[in-house]
Amino acid sequence: MPVSNQPLTHLNARGEAHMVDVADKPESRREASASGLIRMRPETLALLAEGGLPKGDVLATARIAGIQAAKRTHELIPLCHALALSKVSVEFDLDATASCVHVTARCSLNGRTGVEMEALTAVSVACLTLYDMCKAVDKGMEIGAIQLDTKRGGRSGDYQRAAGPDPRAPGASLIDTPADPIVTGEVASGESGLGQRSLTAAPGIRVKCLAELRERLGIGEISVPVERLPSSDVAGLKTALKVLDPRFEGLDQGRVLCAVNQVMAGETTPLSDNDEVAFFPPVTGG
Amino acid sequence: MIRVQEEVFDVGAEQRALSEGRRDIGALVSFTGLVRDVNERPDVEALTLEHYPGMTEAALGEIVEQAKARWPLQGVRVIHRIGRLAPSDPIVLVVVASAHRRAAFEACDFIMDYLKTRAPFWKKEHTVSGDYWVSERDADHQDARRWEMSS
Repeated sequence: MPVSNQPLTHLNARGEAHMVDVADKPESRREASASGLIRMRPETLALLAEGGLPKGDVLATARIAGIQAAKRTHELIPLCHALALSKVSVEFDLDATASCVHVTARCSLNGRTGVEMEALTAVSVACLTLYDMCKAVDKGMEIGAIQLDTKRGGRSGDYQRAAGPDPRAPGASLIDTPADPIVTGEVASGESGLGQRSLTAAPGIRVKCLAELRERLGIGEISVPVERLPSSDVAGLKTALKVLDPRFEGLDQGRVLCAVNQVMAGETTPLSDNDEVAFFPPVTGG
Repeated sequence: MIRVQEEVFDVGAEQRALSEGRRDIGALVSFTGLVRDVNERPDVEALTLEHYPGMTEAALGEIVEQAKARWPLQGVRVIHRIGRLAPSDPIVLVVVASAHRRAAFEACDFIMDYLKTRAPFWKKEHTVSGDYWVSERDADHQDARRWEMSS
């Protein structure tokens, strides 16, 4: 494939890396899909299909991991913008013939920048999570063929990967691609969505107490199911924590600060599944 | 560039890294914070620095971005150490490069004021008379507020 003559947009006139200013670009519908695969032993794939792996529901967990990763792409890839994705879906296709799992991710939004990096990140992290969930029985698994398949919208136009060698083995796979994806997450702008299958695997809200507060309460980390919250915000979480363990009454003693997903937050900051909430005393660094 | 690390840093090396190969930098201001043996109590033998991995880097990044929005800067380095430190050990380094000294002085001052009141680090001091977590100081908040009034 010929190398494009277009300049690299992430380099400025001095050749230094910089973030592209997209404020003046018009908003448009953007979509991208990416795929990859993880090869494993046939026995591992069979265990995965039966749900017999020690860490539990592998596909639901990998799907959440992929969706979460898509939303956090800007934290991983230095010059990526933070995007309010309108949809992320992650699908799995168990291929017994090639003894692998095909992973496909689709991302979309109405915005000023493309979502290719988000789709590629979702596939990568879903594959890594599959590895993590299955490594107890198979350490020789191999992740590969991570690629952008299609991209639509934006100034640089549409892209469709030319048909190349299919990573799948020839012949029909024993397990066909299901008509409905095994798991998908379809969500309102910027929010995480949870498909029905994932509800059982939902890890809840992860709560951390740091520094002096951790020692004063005698509690480091705890997970709280969202259903326990009388209201879906920080105030509701505090109420639920005090019901779970009276030591959390200490949250009201002295000045205690709060961060949600590592950003400073207040009593009315909304919470949803998978959020990380930290409570800590005033900072004293420097 | 922002780093949170246990290892000691080399002020000279960090300054050189910031200015190397650049001909447009006219001022390089650096601040190094050291561990004192007298703080809330005398005879501090050591202190332990805890932080909130992930949020620390993000908070420091946000502070540096604010400094870059306020002053024309050619480069910034912030290094904060964590773990156990002894009196006289360097604990924090801020190096700011700009074309002119005023911007570099002010931006360095600003970054330290915001770091002390916004970045999630906590100090526990170990003294002859026992261990305790250091309390926040009102003077630090007053220092940080100067930048709100002047903007």
